[in-house]
Amino acid sequence: MNWRGEMNKYLASAYKNWVISRRNVFTLFELFFWPLVNLLSIGLLTRFLMVDESMVSFLLVGSIALTILQVAQMDVAYVLLFDMWSKSIKNTFIAPVHSRHLIFGSLFFGIMRGSVVFAILASVSFYLFGFKFQAGGFIPPLIFLAGVFAMAAIIGITVCISILTFGQKADVAAWSLSGLILLFSGIYYPVDVLPPFLQAVARAIPLTYFLEYYRSVFIPGPHHLIVGLSLAALYLLLGLILFDRAIDRARRTGILLWLSE
Amino acid sequence: MRDKSIQAKGICKRYKSLFGSAKTVLKGISLDVDKGEIFGLLGPNGSGKTTLISIFSTLIYPEEGSLSILGLNARRDRGEIRKIINISTAKPNFPWSLTVRENLIHYGMLYGLYGSNLKRTVEDQIDAFELGEYRDVKFENLSTGLKQRLSLAKSMLNRPRILFLDEPTTGLDPDMSARTRDLIQRIHEEEEISVIISTHYMPEAELLCDRIAFLRKGEVAALDTPQNLKNHLGLGEKVRITYRGQADLESLRRMEGVLGINSKPGMMIWPVEKEAGGQADGKVEILIDRHEDSLDRILKSFQDGRILDIDIEEPDLEDVFIELAR
Repeated sequence: MNWRGEMNKYLASAYKNWVISRRNVFTLFELFFWPLVNLLSIGLLTRFLMVDESMVSFLLVGSIALTILQVAQMDVAYVLLFDMWSKSIKNTFIAPVHSRHLIFGSLFFGIMRGSVVFAILASVSFYLFGFKFQAGGFIPPLIFLAGVFAMAAIIGITVCISILTFGQKADVAAWSLSGLILLFSGIYYPVDVLPPFLQAVARAIPLTYFLEYYRSVFIPGPHHLIVGLSLAALYLLLGLILFDRAIDRARRTGILLWLSE
Repeated sequence: MRDKSIQAKGICKRYKSLFGSAKTVLKGISLDVDKGEIFGLLGPNGSGKTTLISIFSTLIYPEEGSLSILGLNARRDRGEIRKIINISTAKPNFPWSLTVRENLIHYGMLYGLYGSNLKRTVEDQIDAFELGEYRDVKFENLSTGLKQRLSLAKSMLNRPRILFLDEPTTGLDPDMSARTRDLIQRIHEEEEISVIISTHYMPEAELLCDRIAFLRKGEVAALDTPQNLKNHLGLGEKVRITYRGQADLESLRRMEGVLGINSKPGMMIWPVEKEAGGQADGKVEILIDRHEDSLDRILKSFQDGRILDIDIEEPDLEDVFIELAR
């Protein structure tokens, strides 16, 4: 098979997610309503607390990260969630596709949606709250976004593994896992304020380092971007291996059949 | 020896629950399917048909046994096998909000189709399965019959060399079932592919299948052509005779070639039904092994009366099914 055929195996998941999303009225809520509600809430809170410009940026970076992570990780998880809800998972796994086709195809769509959300939120936060996302140039926001998308892929893969291991009930993970990750990685606060054992958890989450890196543009301070990048790469690789194993296990246990009935 | 599409030896499958208890679904299934053959899997609910088709199509894996698909090792060459097989399942399900065309595009992409080839293949399948009128209708709004046709169209996207059909006419009305069977026959003839079909409907199996494996409790209870299955099980043929006057039913009971008289209550002999012109009309149903050999002798038993009607009925797969499912 040539590269275009291989490329289409990746794009198949993106195509499915795109068609389903554009027909779903809740997509508008995911892309516009909830992100703006969250951003405006945090922005107005900074006005009320009369914090300085750098602290406004600190908090808005957290708000933007939260929104993009949730949008993108859902797109990765949707690759199996849509199949599970429509009981068509059998058709996907009878086709000659690998886990990488499913994950990276849906991540591609998640990156597209996440980028749109970022553009909207960055624009709104600039006009309403004076947040300049490109204050340190265009490289820092790009690295920050790459980190958030990598984290989204890791969470999405974890949700997919949960579905293939525990079946239908695992979709709860899709809605709650990103919340936990955000809580531990210092979404609106430095991780130093967490209890020591939670700080250790935070230091194992790549997003913590990407948040610190991007925030260092607005409030100069130390960051460990390399650690974040390394952890993200390690978890992604590990996630793909474990996803492959979960598929293999689901074929052995027959859970793929049950998810289609 | 004919080339084989499928060679299965000692296939075993157990499903384990979360709490560790295991249920054995397949117990050492061994069978071969010839290239270009339509092979039927019959059996009562829970006999393992869907599990076996799912193993053959590499959707799930067996615990034990060896499986070769078109000469490829099903453990080692799963990726290659999935390129050349496809499946249409009972109760077909696809993403709800995708239209017929979008579903075919999506699955075409999963099979690595692209560009004009993808467009042409999708349009060809829409035409072949008479889905043109419904191309822009969402899956959730299709009737059961149309969903089944979409499922068959999807199963032909990669021009498979082996097609698995799991109860393809379940839930369809008689007209749609007949049209689906026609489609299956047409696919088989035009594409020259092997078809493995599981079904509950005996006439369907009899009409379509070159050979049939009867599964019972996870084992192959019988495997042969439909005709041989009927012959070898000694189910016999039913001869129904309506007569007027006398018949020597006692000698009929003892006659060579007459099977199981009175073995099934209510089946063999009707009582006198009515009086007509002072003479009694009677009906008798006789189960014989081969009517060519024994019909002459049977008719002699009625020489003192007059035969009004004779009806000979061959056993059908329904009878075989009932016999084997016991």
